[in-house]
Amino acid sequence: MLSSVRRSPLLSALYKPPRSQSPAPRPGRRRRGRAPAAGLAAAALLFTSACTVANSDTGGDIGAAGGNTLRIVLDQEPPTLEPCESSLASTGAVVRSNVTEPLVERDPDSGELEPLLATGWRQTAPTTWTFDTRPGVTFQNGQKFTAEDAAFSIDRAVNSDLSCNVDGYVFDDSGVDVRATSDTTLTVTTAKPDPILPLRLSFIEIVPRTTSTEAKVRKPVGTGPYAIGGWQTGVSITLDRNDTYWGKAPAFARARYVWRSEPSVRAAMITKGEADLATALDPQDATEENSVAYPNNETTALRLDGREAPLDDIRVRKAIDMVIDRQSISETLFGELGEPAAQLVPKGVVGFNNDLVPTEPDLKAARALVKAAAADGAPVDRKITLVARNGQFPRVAETAEALQYQMARLGLNVKILMTDTAAHLQYQLRPLPENVGPIALLIMHGNQAGDAAFTASQYLLSGSPQSTFGTPELDRRVAAATALAGEKRQKAFAEVFAYQNEAVAQYVHLAHMRGLLGLSSSVRYRPNSATGDELRLAAVSRAEGKSR
Amino acid sequence: MTTFLRKRIISSAIPLVFVVFGVFCLARLTGNPVNLYLPLSATSDQRAAFSAEHGFDQSIGAQLWDYLGQVVRLDFGTSLRTGQSAADMALTAFPATLQLAAVTMVIAALGAILIGSLAAYRPNSVADRIASFLAMAAASIPDFWFAITGVLIFGVNLALLPTSGVSGGPEVWILPIATLLIRPFGVLVQVVRGAMVAALSAPYVKVARSKGAGEKRVIFGHALRNAITPALTVAGDLTIGLVNGAVVVETIFGWPGIGKLMIDSILQRDFAVLQAAVLLTALTIFALNILIDVCYALLDPRVRQAVPA
Repeated sequence: MLSSVRRSPLLSALYKPPRSQSPAPRPGRRRRGRAPAAGLAAAALLFTSACTVANSDTGGDIGAAGGNTLRIVLDQEPPTLEPCESSLASTGAVVRSNVTEPLVERDPDSGELEPLLATGWRQTAPTTWTFDTRPGVTFQNGQKFTAEDAAFSIDRAVNSDLSCNVDGYVFDDSGVDVRATSDTTLTVTTAKPDPILPLRLSFIEIVPRTTSTEAKVRKPVGTGPYAIGGWQTGVSITLDRNDTYWGKAPAFARARYVWRSEPSVRAAMITKGEADLATALDPQDATEENSVAYPNNETTALRLDGREAPLDDIRVRKAIDMVIDRQSISETLFGELGEPAAQLVPKGVVGFNNDLVPTEPDLKAARALVKAAAADGAPVDRKITLVARNGQFPRVAETAEALQYQMARLGLNVKILMTDTAAHLQYQLRPLPENVGPIALLIMHGNQAGDAAFTASQYLLSGSPQSTFGTPELDRRVAAATALAGEKRQKAFAEVFAYQNEAVAQYVHLAHMRGLLGLSSSVRYRPNSATGDELRLAAVSRAEGKSR
Repeated sequence: MTTFLRKRIISSAIPLVFVVFGVFCLARLTGNPVNLYLPLSATSDQRAAFSAEHGFDQSIGAQLWDYLGQVVRLDFGTSLRTGQSAADMALTAFPATLQLAAVTMVIAALGAILIGSLAAYRPNSVADRIASFLAMAAASIPDFWFAITGVLIFGVNLALLPTSGVSGGPEVWILPIATLLIRPFGVLVQVVRGAMVAALSAPYVKVARSKGAGEKRVIFGHALRNAITPALTVAGDLTIGLVNGAVVVETIFGWPGIGKLMIDSILQRDFAVLQAAVLLTALTIFALNILIDVCYALLDPRVRQAVPA
């Protein structure tokens, strides 16, 4: 490995020519006083160089990776590499389409579904889809891939007791009936007609049928271009190129992930040339040389708890919507990374309503609404807790403060509560906490699937996991839209978003966000809206004329 | 000495027990980790099953009783996050922190003795004032700011050191150690200087000089021997602080130590790992406290005599 023979910059700086080549000491200059300090420094260096850091591997860290290694720095260590948890961003960044692959994949730019481990698919009955699987594919353990493996993987992710995240996010509770009808054909049957079933299946990573169904796996096997090389908890994850990969071989023989929670350090690693890709940079650390912005399909919003006074009064909710200055927040706090929003999904997602425009601030009208609500007995001076999560997006704390100030202009009593992820989830998910008063929750929703059904099923339905309330009419509209396909589906979901804003107003939309990917000049990669959740290493190539 | 040791062990063990109980109860007051480990749309049955499987459906008292029973059997539970043994994870991470703390304290102690002694040799001289000012500044600088600034200057701008990471040559140690070093170094320089100023004006130093002892021998042979005792106590406390508080350094530099493991465990509500890590750290601090007391007693017999039998 190059790293074992290459001299580090520090050692180069400390290196002195042999004594015979050194200039003679100048007469009269005292050297005695420098001896203790030099001795101390030498002792310290000897001491540290003599011992490797405990709990670190010896394969070279990210800063010393060999020339054929793609070096990635994540914002956090993946909690698991289990493929059925790959809807978690940090897990998906390592696993999806690198280690394991789905039957079909969605093109993030066009939104079209493309074949991967399935070569074709068709609706063969109102509730049944048939998939043809790709022949000649083997798993990284040498096992041959067949339709039975695909059926097993879908069954394992959706129908097992593993409590897979992909189950909750992509499929509802009704499950699916899946069976292999031959080595290269499988059928998937749902309880009700599902026009976007192939899209849902793009979230199921295929694993061999020898994979445990009793427990989640730590080091998955798949058909992807890379296989898990090693995972040293707390230090790094290494992927090795799968030499039996059925598709085009990726450019790098090895990939190595490390994680640094401080965004400044991630940016510094790109600038210094210690990493090739870095996730989730902050705007203040980003330059044109070390990063590239991309649409990440995330939308920030305030979710207002419509069960609690004064937020149970739609006039108060609409007043909050009217007083928020999205343009100002986007320009001053988000920089280039935010664009004022009027709905929970960005352009490009099926159901996006092109006619909705962000509400313009109107303090006078908003105050009139609050005044009218107060006149009818709404306790508008009751404390509202604005809950936000540290690290949710850049400048989240400042955003919460701006929202607090703008809501206070209506006479509302708003207090900020900054939380970590676990505490935020308690406010975000049902069962919602009791006796905590009215909550305005700062959320960031990412729709990576490209269809509004995934948003509606999570955030809009009366009883959905992440909504505080809804209306029967909204539920009816969502159910009707979910059953449609094509243009009708697009139109129906667009109307759902318009109805939410007009008649429900549970969400005060803030901004459609963009992500910042750290990208060194030694590699080429074009991020897309899926990059935040799926960092496809096979799409990374060496920059022309660059070699490490 | 045996009585002294016994008394010290008993008195030091009491806070150890409180720490273990406190961490157990406080961790559970942050809530059930079910939301972190189950899918967004998990049913109430799935949530209940998860809670029952891990005992979170019981009262804190019952959970604590179970935990103590496990600890007696040296079973510290399994990580919710990784499925690995919590004790193994803590024991794997701990040496990296110990290495960092040990190297830092050796450098801090040697440097502080040198600088503090030289500053005390001529009190209120220019060199003394500069040393005192720098020591005070070093003791006051926030380690987070120092670490990030160090990364930007020495990692990015000067390209002399790696920005972070743990594998490679000796250069990977420099920024983490410098960050950890700065506060104990600043404190120790002040302590050594103060003790040495007093020692150098003591009668036995004058006697030594009158007998013709050289200045090096006066400073390091006579005065330092007597001034080292308070410095040792402070150094012990600072070492404990390093073992316990390397969180910032480990998080920023990706150092795979116990501090980072604790932070990750707190954020992931991985109670078993958090408890194992805290227990291991508390035991180490307990042992360090005993060791410091023993050293102190060996150096100063009055300490042993002050402890009633």
